[in-house]
Amino acid sequence: MPLLNSKAVILHSQRWGEADRIITGFSQRAGKIRAIAYGARKLKSRFGGVLEPFNLIQLTLFERTPTSLARVSQAELLESFSAIREHLHLMGQAARMATLVKAITADHDPNEALFQALVGGLRALTTTPDPQGVMLVFQIHVLDHAGFRPEMGSCTTCGSSLGTARGWFAPWSGGMICAQCRHTQSGPCLSMAPGSIAFVNQAKRLPFPVVTRLRATGQVRREVEEALDAFIRTILGTPLPEIASWAAEDEPRYALPVSSARS
Amino acid sequence: MNDRTQSALVRLTRELVRLPGIGQKTAQRLAFHLMKVDKDEALRLAQAIQDVKERVTFCVQCRNMTESTLCEICQDPKRDRTKILVVEEPSTLHAIEHSKAFNGLYHVLFGALSPLEGVGPSDIRAHELENRVKAGGIEEVIIATNPTIEGEATAIYLTKLLRPYGVRVSRIAYGIPVGMDIEYADEVTLLKSIEGRRECP
Ligand SMILES: [Zn+2]
Ligand SMILES: [Zn+2]
Repeated sequence: MPLLNSKAVILHSQRWGEADRIITGFSQRAGKIRAIAYGARKLKSRFGGVLEPFNLIQLTLFERTPTSLARVSQAELLESFSAIREHLHLMGQAARMATLVKAITADHDPNEALFQALVGGLRALTTTPDPQGVMLVFQIHVLDHAGFRPEMGSCTTCGSSLGTARGWFAPWSGGMICAQCRHTQSGPCLSMAPGSIAFVNQAKRLPFPVVTRLRATGQVRREVEEALDAFIRTILGTPLPEIASWAAEDEPRYALPVSSARS
Repeated sequence: MNDRTQSALVRLTRELVRLPGIGQKTAQRLAFHLMKVDKDEALRLAQAIQDVKERVTFCVQCRNMTESTLCEICQDPKRDRTKILVVEEPSTLHAIEHSKAFNGLYHVLFGALSPLEGVGPSDIRAHELENRVKAGGIEEVIIATNPTIEGEATAIYLTKLLRPYGVRVSRIAYGIPVGMDIEYADEVTLLKSIEGRRECP
């Protein structure tokens, strides 16, 4: 009997010993898993390139080895999102997605919605003219599904409804606080325009791939990005790594007319 | 066995176990073996290790290992100086040399780029390679990085870096190992070999 047979996305793949690999994946049926693929780096390995990061695979794991890691017994490629591998910027964003999922989830904790967001996010990266925009809505979805849904509708401190005015995002509180509480609390707050609050609310409601049609520009994008960065830093205790500048410049150029790129 | 001999043996085992691919059992067997063989034979190993550490450095041009300023390959007048083959590790260079498939010069990166893990162009001395191309006389740069995410990232970066100098930048073909039945190849390898197909001559 296999320990697990499930779809999974490879989050991280690390060389191990002479010819092996240790993979971290996020599986549909068992959540985050770590497993060892013996001989994966050998020429005639049946795993070949299947266990590379970002691949969506059908994974079969078998009994635990003496190292307490499960052993990969089968891995079949379902989707490789190959466009990601053609641009350094996309590789960087995909790596940030994988890093976030890896850091925010616990082992063996299945989460169907999060799995779908991960597949949807990677798939969206392969077609979008706006990778940062995809990353923005991806972060909102992952936070939501991992149990850190930012509270945007009412004050996290006194519970009063916030209405449609400009508000303040308080990362340490898990959401917005009202104007009054803002003066009695000492933690840092980030100003959010009504448009920014509406963007986060809409992004939470819409599933992938529809959510990628939401476009945040200008001030809204800046405010939402800052709020998410601060919130993730608070949750993980460390910021999500930035894409190195030498990679960030290498973006795909789509020959799309501006109107269809913005629709 | 008294305490001193035991600790020397333990120390040797501990050093051996730190080598790549050597487990506790193998390390113990090697340590016992070295204890049993002639003193001369054992010390030849010690001497060889010492020589490697004291004499071998990196070639100033390609960063291959060498005992002089320039490695044997860079010094060899029979090599084709218009081609540079780029590898991640010296072990890849030696595998290619052993195959006699390439007669040009090399460039050893000692690693591969990673957009998030902080391995940038300066860590793999990408600009030393750029300078070699900039200096002229190079017609083709062949990138032979591993077919991993990091290897792909490195290939993309180097291609963009070097193309403006008017050199041909190519990558080695990735695909089905020779002698293997195609049906046993994994899907990614199959995909790569179809992508990397070429016209029949
Ligand atoms: Zn309040
Ligand atoms: Zn050299």
